[in-house]
Amino acid sequence: MPVRPLNVGVIVKLEPDFSEGNVSYNPDGTLNRAETKNILGPHSAAATLAAFYCKVKYDAKVAIGTMGPPIANQALRQAQLISNADELHLYSDRIFAGADTLATAEVLRLGVSRMNKGLGADIVISGHRASDGETGQTGPQTAWKLSYPFIGNVIDFHIDQEGRSIYAKRFISLYGFYDVIEEIQAPLPVFISADPSYKPSFNTISERLSVARNLNEARNKADNFEKYLQVYNSEGLGADPRYVGLPGSPTIVYKVEKIPKAKAKRRVEFVDGNDTVQLDMVAKKLLQLMTEAPIK
Amino acid sequence: MSGATQNSEASVGNLARIESYQHLYVVIEHEEGVPVPVSLEMLGEARRLMDNFNVRYSSNEKVVAVVLGDNVRHLCQELIRFGADVVVYADNHSLKHYTNLLYTKIICQIAEDKNVARSISPNRSENYKKPRYMFFSADNTGRHLSSTVLAQLESGLASDINKLVISDLEIRHEHKTKGQPVKFEKTLEMYRPDFSGFLWTTILCLDNRNPAIAREYHPQSCSIIPGVFEPITKEDQRTGTIIDFEPQISGEDLRIKVLSRNIIKSTIDFESCKIIVSYGRGIRDSPEDNFKLIEQFAKALNAEIGISLPISKRPYQTKDQHLLSYMIPERVIGTSGRKVSPVVYIAIGISGAVQHLAGMKESGFVVVINPDSDAAFRDECDIFIKGRLEEVLPILTEQIKKHMLMIEKRA
Repeated sequence: MPVRPLNVGVIVKLEPDFSEGNVSYNPDGTLNRAETKNILGPHSAAATLAAFYCKVKYDAKVAIGTMGPPIANQALRQAQLISNADELHLYSDRIFAGADTLATAEVLRLGVSRMNKGLGADIVISGHRASDGETGQTGPQTAWKLSYPFIGNVIDFHIDQEGRSIYAKRFISLYGFYDVIEEIQAPLPVFISADPSYKPSFNTISERLSVARNLNEARNKADNFEKYLQVYNSEGLGADPRYVGLPGSPTIVYKVEKIPKAKAKRRVEFVDGNDTVQLDMVAKKLLQLMTEAPIK
Repeated sequence: MSGATQNSEASVGNLARIESYQHLYVVIEHEEGVPVPVSLEMLGEARRLMDNFNVRYSSNEKVVAVVLGDNVRHLCQELIRFGADVVVYADNHSLKHYTNLLYTKIICQIAEDKNVARSISPNRSENYKKPRYMFFSADNTGRHLSSTVLAQLESGLASDINKLVISDLEIRHEHKTKGQPVKFEKTLEMYRPDFSGFLWTTILCLDNRNPAIAREYHPQSCSIIPGVFEPITKEDQRTGTIIDFEPQISGEDLRIKVLSRNIIKSTIDFESCKIIVSYGRGIRDSPEDNFKLIEQFAKALNAEIGISLPISKRPYQTKDQHLLSYMIPERVIGTSGRKVSPVVYIAIGISGAVQHLAGMKESGFVVVINPDSDAAFRDECDIFIKGRLEEVLPILTEQIKKHMLMIEKRA
C-alpha cells in the first residue's frame, strides 16, 4: 500500500546579511540598514535545509512561505535553490506592515493552510529566530494558532511515514547549568524549529544521487522562480483585518534610545599598545594575578 | 460589591472597581527540582516592582510563582523565601519533563482559573479574568513557552528584556487610540537591547482603545534575559500561600512523548580556569593569522578561549578547521551564551555590547585590547590597551613567556 505523500511547509524571513564585508554599521554601532543587503536569514536557511532533507528522504512536497514586502521574494528564491521547493508563497499586503509576532503568526497560520495546493502541511518548519528581530516567538505562536504541537531546537529528525509520526532530537541549553539532548516522539502534524546547528546527513548512494538530482532541479526552478510564486494579499488569505498588521498587534514600540553607558564600576587605566615598557607592566600584572589567585 | 467594603484589601485607597487583571505571575523553571538561576532573578525583580506598585497604587497585588513538575511541592517554600507571595504548583507524573503542549495548557489553566484567583485574593477576585503581568525566562524553554502561552491568552509578549518599569503613560497612537491622547495606567515598560547591543527598544502591550478595533490585551508579558536582575536576599521568615493546582489533562495533551533525556556537560571548561581570553570581530583583517596570535597568547597564560556572539555566526570564509572549532556557540560569552567570572578576563577586539558585558562583568580583573579607545568596553575594564591586536599580542606573549621562565628558574 503506498504511503500518503508528505507535505512540508517552511516559514522563512528576509533579513539583513550580518556576515563580514556585507554588514554595515553606523559610527554609533547600530546597523546601517540602507547599506546592508538582505538575504535569506541563516536560521531560515537551516529550516529550509530540513525541508530539503524531507524532499530527498521522503520525496516530500515542499512549500515555502514568507510574510513581507514584494522584495521578500528574494528570500523565497534563495530558499528554493536550497530545497527544490514546489511552491513559493509571498504573503504581502500593506495592512500587514508593522505586525508584532502575534499578528505575524496570524498571517502565517492562514498561509500554511494554503500550502501544497490547499492541503496544508504535515510538518511545518521554522528557523530558531530571526537575526534582526531575534524574538524567536513567531514560530511557536504560528504553531499554536495552527493547533500543531511545537518542538523547538531540533538538531536531527526522521519521519515514520506509515506510522505518521516524527522522531526528533532537540538541543536545550541551560546556560550556566548544562546542556540537554532530548529525544521526542510525536504524531503528525507537527511544527518544529530547526536549531542553528541543524545539518542533514545523506549516507546511502541512492540518497546522494537524489541530492544531486534535486539540487539540479532546484537550480532550474530557481531560474524561473516566479513560475512557482504565489502572492497572497489579506483578502486572498481571508484574513480578518482586526487580527493582522498594527490593529492585530498587542504590542507597540514606544521608544528607541541609545543604551546609556552604565556607571563605570572599574577605574580604567589606559595603556599605549606601542609602548613596550607599559606592556611589560601589564604582563607582570597578569602573572601576579595568575599566581596569587587560589585555584577555584 | 457590598462585601468588599469589609475587606481590608479593598478598603485601602480608591478601589471601587475590582479589576479583571491582577497580580504578576512568574513562570518558574527548574531542573530536577532545583530552580534555575533566572527563576530567582525574575522573582527578585517581580518583588521590587510589586512592592513599588502596591505603595504607589495603594493596592495589594501579589507576586505569584507558577511551578510545574513531578514532585515539586518542596520547591514552594523556597520560592516564597525568594520573594513570591503565592506559589501555585501542579504536581503530576506527566509533568516530569517539559513538553511545550502540556505545559502551555496547564499554565493557561492556572492563569485563567477563578478559584486560584480567589485563593490569592479572596475578596477581590469576582471580576478576575487573567494576570496583569507575566514573566518567563528568555532561555530555550521559556522563549517557546512564553510564545505559546501568550498565543493562547491572546496578548502581547516582548522578548529578551533587561529593564522593567511600571508607570502611567499618555499614549497617542494611530491604531491603539485613533490618534487621541489616552492615559494607560499601570503600564509595564519593557526594555529590550537590540542585536547590536547599542539600542534600547521599549515595548508596551496596550489595549486597543480605538472603538473600531477595541480589544483588551492582558497579561502584559515578557521573557527576561538570564543574569541581569538580582534575586532578593533569601528570607527564611517570609510566609506565603501555597496552592495545589489539579490540572486538567486529556489524552490529546499527552501525545508528545519524551523518549530519552541526556545531560551533556560541555568539554569547554570556563569554570575552573583562572583566565579567559575572548576575541571578537577585531580579528577581521586576517582571521586565521590573528587567531594564531590569540591562541599563542592564551596558551602562555594557560587560559581558555571564549568568543563574542557575532563570531559564532562564522562571519569569515575560512577552511581552517581548527579556527572553525573556535567559532562555535558553546564558546560564546554573554547573554546568548555562558556567564563567566574568572580571575582575569581579557577581551580582544570586542567592542563591549551589553549582551557581552552581562556575561563577564563579574570577572575579577578585566583587560581590553582594542584600537578604538571609545569602545563601550572602556567603562567595564581595569586596563585598556589601545592598539591593534596584531601589534600588541606578539609583544605581550613574549613578555609573559620571559617572566614565566624567570619564575620557574627561581622556583
